[in-house]
This record gives sequence, structure tokens and C-alpha cells, in this order.
Amino acid sequence: MDELAFTPSAPLSLGVEIELQLVRPHDMDLSRDAADLLARLSKRKLPGAVKPEITESMIELNSSVHANSAALLEELEVMRQAMVREAAVLNVRVCGGGSHPFHDWADRRIFPNERFRYVVERYGYLAKQFTVFGQHIHVGSPGGDEAIYLIHMLTRYVPHFIALSAASPFYQGEDTSFESSRLTAVSAFPLAGHMPFVSGWAEFLEYFSTMKRFGIVASMKDFYWDIRPKPEYGTVEIRVCDTPLTTRRAALLAAYAQALAAHHLTERRRQPSRTVYLVNSYNRFEACRFGVRGDIVEPYAGAKKKIGDDILETIALVAPHASRLGTSELLEELAAGVRVGESDAGWLRRRQAARGSLAHVVRDACARWEQGS
Amino acid sequence: MSADFLPGLPPAFSHATLFGALVVVGLLAGEAARRYASLPRITGYAVAGAILGPQGFGLLTDNMLFDLRLLIDLSVGLIVFELGFRLDLKWLRLNRWLLATAVAESLFCFWSIFGALVYFDFRPVLAAMAAAIGTATSPAVVMLVANDLRAEGQITERMLLCTAVNTVFAYVLLTLLLPFLHFEHAATWEQALFHPLYVLWGSILAGTLACMLMLRLAAWLGKREELQFVLLVAMVVVTVGIAHALKLSVTLTLISLGILARNLDRDHALLPVHFGYGAQLFFVILFVLVGASLEFSAFNAVAATVVAAYIVVRFLGKGLALLLFGPLSGIRPGGAGLLAVALVPLSGSAVVMVRDTTSLYPAFGKELAAVVLSAVVVLELIGPLATQFALRRAGEARPNG
Repeated sequence: MDELAFTPSAPLSLGVEIELQLVRPHDMDLSRDAADLLARLSKRKLPGAVKPEITESMIELNSSVHANSAALLEELEVMRQAMVREAAVLNVRVCGGGSHPFHDWADRRIFPNERFRYVVERYGYLAKQFTVFGQHIHVGSPGGDEAIYLIHMLTRYVPHFIALSAASPFYQGEDTSFESSRLTAVSAFPLAGHMPFVSGWAEFLEYFSTMKRFGIVASMKDFYWDIRPKPEYGTVEIRVCDTPLTTRRAALLAAYAQALAAHHLTERRRQPSRTVYLVNSYNRFEACRFGVRGDIVEPYAGAKKKIGDDILETIALVAPHASRLGTSELLEELAAGVRVGESDAGWLRRRQAARGSLAHVVRDACARWEQGS
Repeated sequence: MSADFLPGLPPAFSHATLFGALVVVGLLAGEAARRYASLPRITGYAVAGAILGPQGFGLLTDNMLFDLRLLIDLSVGLIVFELGFRLDLKWLRLNRWLLATAVAESLFCFWSIFGALVYFDFRPVLAAMAAAIGTATSPAVVMLVANDLRAEGQITERMLLCTAVNTVFAYVLLTLLLPFLHFEHAATWEQALFHPLYVLWGSILAGTLACMLMLRLAAWLGKREELQFVLLVAMVVVTVGIAHALKLSVTLTLISLGILARNLDRDHALLPVHFGYGAQLFFVILFVLVGASLEFSAFNAVAATVVAAYIVVRFLGKGLALLLFGPLSGIRPGGAGLLAVALVPLSGSAVVMVRDTTSLYPAFGKELAAVVLSAVVVLELIGPLATQFALRRAGEARPNG
């Protein structure tokens, strides 16, 4: 079980993975130039890492480990600029957003490596439909038990992350009426959902070895959970965010995750509760469908309120920790957006209304990503 | 009893019948080539044309081919328009080495062929014209093979870009060579001077005007794919007709229209277009007619060495330029060689160009025809195969395409 030994990491250290869309300029559909772009980027000295993803139309930026979100944003900007420059040489454009608005999933081609071949073999068309783009946020944890505790705490805020990042209103050429349609593609996987209600790292290991003995999973990678532990990094990984349209928003989301983790790990006011998981799928749906205007059932108090209001209250709650981490301004910016009901999904819909075609929405989204935060 | 309602014998079939029948025959031959011989469909269309043509069973006569000339122009017009519409000048601006690669590809190819033909004692004017024709990659072949294989990726994109550039290069050069041709035949200097100016600037002007009109109309129609599709096809057809009537170059006019439509459309009034199945109809008829026009007799007439030299040197010229400059333009290792192979197809409309010259100066046309048409015969057969091979090898074809 060495692979699952929890490597302790600096508490509250921060890192992100961001999946991006590669687009061909002549019709703004997804391109398949990931391999060429990766080859070019591998020749540059870059912080972090750039990796392939399941289909050849995707590329993933991995940041290195940071103490706070401001430093993270600086690094993401360096990576973004390098990527945009190299992409220009290949006549490829890059953009954020959780889904490509009109690509045909059947046209996607699987990136040729062993892991991805296995995924296609196993999941069939789900693999190609998995051409959706997410941001994963890693928060460092001093040990396995703390990680499990943090996952139980953060699960209550899953709807926040969905609503704050929502950027996939269009799918397969249609307006889905959802703020984030991307998570529907994830839900189709049999091992999607959430971690079971385990009390600590030892119990988690027991659960994992049972699943492994049954032959249901081979590694942690087989779990497509909303939040999962990442023992080799020593982190808790939040996986529900759509990739935002700008690096700046990506950094805002990371800052929020870090402040939440700081609040719960230092104050430890609450105990894990099964009620959180009882209301989870309702809250999650509300967030996907309506964003910050959706309802959330607060599991500890049992009250229903607007997701946006709940986020604003939470930001106020964690503010002291944000100030200690040096990210007060970032959280204030996030809160300001919530107050006026602003979201990337809304921005995409407004572009569609103004331009009248989804190809132009993609063009505008590319321009926004390429321009920088 | 009078039987006026019955047709006279043999019944008089219209061109529509001929057109439809040729498409059906070509379609079947193309599918058979793909299914039974793993050949590109185009090869099947062309072989069907050659068998039916004047030099085969003669079901298609020279007169019929002449009557169907407008169909060839229309098909070529649609294809070079789409090719121009794919040419992103912004890419060339951002990637100067790519511009250098594309220009070098044309220049190296031209000079190699020119040098080889002069070495074989062809007169410089003749050598230059044959070299200019040889510089162009066939837009129709590369577009159709790429469509057929549903190829996507860097090699495919660069193949289309180089084809657009070398097509423009070849046609502009051919036009500029006209004065020398006129002088050789003791035409007046006015004729020598004004003919190329008229064709070159006339074609560009016609393309520009059509483009401006098209953008206005597209903006008025709005972002409706089905309406814009009809508009684009109709504008292409009418522009081909105008170029034809004004004795301009159909290729230059339509490629200008395409390039300008992509690059002048600042407000993005035009939606991305895929001609798709509709264009397939024109592709089939084009290659059947090109196949029927192949001059197998020309092939026997010239020394095979000259034709072989023409083909080899043309390939080497393209290859050398791509190997030298390709890597600087960001092509992956090994990609430059594949790109050179992909660019092998020689433009079937070389046949048309040669016809035009023949009609101007019959004797001169014959000389030119011997070399170029023989090369066309050979490359019409191996060109599509080469492109198909290169795109598959580059891993850019769809696995089941």
C-alpha cells in the first residue's frame, strides 16, 4: 500500500491543474494539435508542467506549489503567455471555459498514451464525451486524517465552487439552460460522486483495499469524485470547477479554497456529518442549473437559502484567514462578482446574444484567455 | 395512328443527363477504387473519366468536353475559393518562418524545374511556363484527399497553406510570362503589355468587388448557416461566370475572393463554411472530366527522361525548401518530408491552362503540352496516392477515414 502512503505536505500550500481547449481558427471548432503544442512547450524552460489530457484537443497546465494565490497567479500568467505564443506558431488558439460550445464529441481523437487508451477501452464513448475542461485545486494537508476531515468539510461547499466557476452553458451546439453542463459528463462515470463517509485515513485505506480486492479500482485515478485525497502529493483535490475564462478567476477560486481550508483546519468547529451527503446531490444540481441564483440547503442548520448569499456569508467567515494568507483582495473581488451576479457562463451567454453564433462566442473566449487576466 | 408523343430515335439527351450519368459512374468508380484497391477515390474518378474519354472508349468526345468546360471552371472555382478561405494571413504574420517556407517552396520548385528544362535545351520562355505550371500543387486533389480522410492537424493545415501560396505564385507568374510569349510571336507591344496587366489586376479587382458585395450581403442576412451557405455558393458561381465572360483567370479571381473573404471580414459577418456533400458533386465531375482530358498520346511523344526529370526535380525543389525552412517554422521532426510528399499532386487545371495557351498560339501550346501533359498523366495517378500516404503517415487521417 506504499502508493497510498500519505506524503505530508506544507499545510495550506496551493496548486492547480487547468484543462484548456485548443481551437482551430478557421472554424473555431476544437483542433487536435495537443501533441505538437506539447512538443514545442517542452523545449521552453517553464515553471510548473504542461501535460496531455484524454483527447488531442485538450492540454493541461499544472502549477507548482505556492504559499498563496497571488504567487500562483503570477506563475499561471507566465505559463499562459508561453502557451499562447507557442500556439500562435501552430495557428492554434487557446481558451478557457468548461465545455466547447459546439464540437461534435464523436470527432474527438484520443491522445495516444497507455492510460488514455485504457480509459477508452473501459468507458467507450464516455471517454470522448469527457472532452470537458475543468480546474482542479490542490490544498496541502499535514496528514491523511486531516485530509479526510478536510474533504468532509469542503463537501458542504461543492455547490459554491460549481457556481463560482460555472462556464459551460453551451454543449453540442445548444444552450443547455445550465450554468455548468460539464459536470453531467463527469457524472456518467460509474465511480463518480463523492468519497464514502470514512472517519480517517486508516478507514479510507481499508475501503480502498476492499475496492481493489474486488477488482473495481486499480489506483486512486479510477475515482472520479468531486473531492478526493491525493496521497502522493499530500493534498486534497477539489475537482468540480469548470475552467474559468481567465487565469485571474482561476486564482480567485484557488484563494477561496485555501481560505476555506485554513478556516476548517485551524478552527475545527464542526464534526463530519452524514447530512452533508444527504443534501449534496440536490445542492449540486441547483448550482449546476442556476449558479449563484440557485438554492442551497445548509446541512448543519437545515435552512434553505440562495447559493450566492451563502457564498458571501462564507467569505465573511473566512476573511481573517484570507487576510493572514495575504489574499483578502482576491476574496473581496470574488465577493463583488457574486453581489452583481456575474459569472463566466453569463458572459458567454451575453456574447452569444450579441454575436448570434457560437463560433463567435469561442473566438471571443479565445481573445479573452489570450489577452491575459 | 400518329405517335408524336414518342421520342425520335436515338433520343436527344440533354447535358443534364450527361452530367448526372458522369457523376454516377465516377462515384461508383471512386468507391470501387477505395474498396478494392485502397486507392484514393479521386484516382477512381479520373480512371473512369480516362476510360470513357476520347482516348478511351470515346463515349465522351472532345466536343462534349469543350461544352462541359464551364463545369470544370465552376468546380475549380469552388475549390480554390474554399482553399483561399482557409488561408489565414494572420498565421503568416505571426510565423514569419512559415511565410519564408511557403515562398521558398514555390521559388525552389520553380527554379529547379526551370533549370532542368533549360538543361534539356528547352527555350527559356517555354521552360519558364512549364516550371510555373509545375510549381502549383493541385488544390482540388489536396482538398479532396484531406476531406476524404477527414485529415486534421499541422501537416494538413500547412499542406493547404503551401498549396494556396504556390497556386497564387504559379498563376501570377504565368500571367507575367505572357508578354514574352507575345513577343516570341511578334505581337504588338500594346498587346504584350496590357494582356498580363488586364488579367492580373482584372482578376484581383473582380475578386475584391465580389468579396465586398458578399460581406455586405452576409451581414444583412445575419448568422444563419443555411442562408449563408446558399449565398456563398451563389456568389462563387456568379463570380466564376463573370471571370469566364471577361476572360479573366478563374483561379486568380476565385482565390482572391476566398482569401479576401477570410481576411477582410473584420466584423466576422461570415460563418465558417463547410461545403460538404454539395461540393462532392462538383469534385466527382471535375475529376471525371480531368481524367477524360488526360493526353496519354502526349506521353508517348516525348522522351520519358524529360518527363521523369520534370517530376523528380519538382519534388526535390519542394522537398529541399521544406527541409531547410520547415523546422524553423515549427513543424515537427519528420513533418517536412511528409509535407513535401503531400504536395506532389500537379494541378489538373494545368490541362486547362495549356488549352488556353494552345488557343492563343497553337504551335507553342503543343510544345508546352508535350512536357506538362505527360507529367499530368503520371502525377494524376500518383499524386492523390502520395497525399493520402503523407497524411496517413503523419497520423492526421481519421483512423477509419
